[in-house]
Amino acid sequence: MIERTRTTARAAALLAAASLAIGLGGCASSPGDGVTTLNFFQFKGEALEDFGEMIADFEAENPDIRIVQNQVADADTLIRTLLVKDRVPDIITLNANGNFGRLAQAGVFRDFSSEPVLETINPAVQDILADLGSFGEEVNGLGYVNNANGVIYNQTIFDEQGLEVPETWDEFIAVCDALDAAGITPFYGTLADSWTGIPSWNALGAYAAQDGFFDKMREQGENVGPDSEVSFEKNFAETMDQQYALFSYMQEGYRGKTYDDGNAAFANGEVAMLLQGIWATNPIKQVNPDIEMGIFPYPATDDPDDRLLVSGVDVVFTMGKNNPNEEAAMRFIEYAFQKDVIEDFAASQNMVPSVEGAELSDDPALQSVKPFFDDGRITGFIDHQIPPSIPLIPIDQEFLFNGNAQAALAALDNEWRKVAARTIPVTTGEDQ
Amino acid sequence: MTITQAVRSTATQTPAPKRAGRVRSGTKRAASAYYWMVWPAVIAFAAFHTLPDIVGIFFSFTNYAGYGAWNFVGLSNYLNLFRDDRVLQAYGFSFLFAIVATILTNAFSLAIALGLNAKIKARNFWRGVYFVPYILAILVIGYVFQFFFSNSLPKILAGIPVFADNILTDQTWAWTAIVALAVWQACAFAIIIYLSGLQTIPVEMYEAASLDGASSWRQFRSITFPLIGAFFTINVVLSLKGFLQVFDPIIALTNGGPGTSTESVTLLIFRGGFSGGEFAYQTANAVVFFIVITIVSLFQFRVLQRREADF
Repeated sequence: MIERTRTTARAAALLAAASLAIGLGGCASSPGDGVTTLNFFQFKGEALEDFGEMIADFEAENPDIRIVQNQVADADTLIRTLLVKDRVPDIITLNANGNFGRLAQAGVFRDFSSEPVLETINPAVQDILADLGSFGEEVNGLGYVNNANGVIYNQTIFDEQGLEVPETWDEFIAVCDALDAAGITPFYGTLADSWTGIPSWNALGAYAAQDGFFDKMREQGENVGPDSEVSFEKNFAETMDQQYALFSYMQEGYRGKTYDDGNAAFANGEVAMLLQGIWATNPIKQVNPDIEMGIFPYPATDDPDDRLLVSGVDVVFTMGKNNPNEEAAMRFIEYAFQKDVIEDFAASQNMVPSVEGAELSDDPALQSVKPFFDDGRITGFIDHQIPPSIPLIPIDQEFLFNGNAQAALAALDNEWRKVAARTIPVTTGEDQ
Repeated sequence: MTITQAVRSTATQTPAPKRAGRVRSGTKRAASAYYWMVWPAVIAFAAFHTLPDIVGIFFSFTNYAGYGAWNFVGLSNYLNLFRDDRVLQAYGFSFLFAIVATILTNAFSLAIALGLNAKIKARNFWRGVYFVPYILAILVIGYVFQFFFSNSLPKILAGIPVFADNILTDQTWAWTAIVALAVWQACAFAIIIYLSGLQTIPVEMYEAASLDGASSWRQFRSITFPLIGAFFTINVVLSLKGFLQVFDPIIALTNGGPGTSTESVTLLIFRGGFSGGEFAYQTANAVVFFIVITIVSLFQFRVLQRREADF
């Protein structure tokens, strides 16, 4: 009896050891036929098929490279864990947000400054990336496709009412009043999703944030306040007034509606405009494929020539420092940045390609923002410059509910001070 | 015979001196099978709970962002916590929420349990119905409640401004909606505990009391409540501890809003630590919160156990 239990135990142990060995072997095995396998970290769920096709075409031209696309959820968290474990993917795409900037500053990404492909990219796009942060003077990412954060408007309604796209703030308010007078609700508010207040805040605040506002804010750190050189309280009062003015043109019950409600209502022609970005055009088209819509930048200025389009780099390509498969990975990136490849991808994703001279799709919404990209009159999302530990979205939502701009700005300054005071920079990189 | 009596009587019976000479080596050390039952749990607990706790406490003394390099920063994370009004506000909210929700949960579930313990028709059916909220995933229920608060109630109670304008977006009253959801779900388990408590009370006691002419209220006050004292203690301690760590109902209903008015300590730790990138700072917050909850729970046990009846 005892003898038998022992043999069973021994067999179980052997089995366990064997399966462990197989498991480990599976990780380490590499095909010995000269094919390089690249691990492609891909964050964008809706781009899974487009990247799949791109990879298939690339592999057909380059039989010595095999690319495995890993489409991941919650990429920002996952890339951190991969970096911590030192298992950096060969090719990385990320959304170029504040998190990307912080990772770049930490010096985990490769420097692309001497790559020829950099020359083909719209410099305004690379400026947005540089503003997010980089390791010294390096170029740690290559902007691929861009979004546009503007007012989405229903062209049919505008034509029926004889309205032009407003180019100054006064014209914008006049358009809203005219729609109101005609019995059409100008905007659809969706504040039950608190983040939907932020696109308009970003766009209006972009004007106040020009001339290095955030650089000065970082310099002042814990001394930010109503008496400092710059502060939210000092520089953003007009932004808040403008945002509140726009929200006074919302439909009844805008506090309880969600982002999806807003897209559906706009698609069905219930309202004339949405305070959203180009990312909303796809869901809108799913509800009503025949809708004619365009995008215009928030004209928070008196001079039409001063208008700025807020744009974010929706997909940025990068790779880890000291990547052993650097040459092969670079070949794929160069392929992805070829004009016809990027044009197809951008058209399918309804985004603006970064490569200079690449054509945009015929989509009227995209065409309406094209001049701003061509002239480089674009600027980044300002919320990427604000530390994520500051509860910007809740503060702005609260402000839109109660209209107390002074309290909201004081709260932002207060949070900025506290974060600056408690953020203790890492002094050496060797202390791990 | 109650469980305690059973335990006591068996405990005194075991060291029976019958075949002492031969069995002594066996009784001195338990059979190895018991060790094999205990060790995996101890190892798993240490590996997945104690060790991460210690690592977390360690990182609360650094400026680690969750990745990359870090330095020791001494106690500054802890000092900054006490200067952060957002943290203090979160503690205020968590305690207000936990105290109100604990009182309501225990009042409701004790009342319901009394009803379910009485000889009502279809008793098992009702017991089943009241247990359903415990089985349902809170996030799923949360979205149902969210729809209810933001779409149904504004129409049903259109005359009351607080409800007509979606209570979830009301800075002053949003927390009451979260209390409603949390209490609704927490009652299910509290009822079960109270029910099992009520079933330990011998029926003879009530018979004797009614012969003496005690009213139902008097019976509840002098017999029922004292005799389920231990169950009351465990329910209050568990509810308060659970409600202090409230997270899911907030995520489902208000996501901490409007503004930061319904931001609990756990939500703040999660937000600031993961999306906010202040890993070490919020770990320090978590350590403080752990200590606070431990102290509160121990304090409750001492106060409540003093007034439990023994029989």
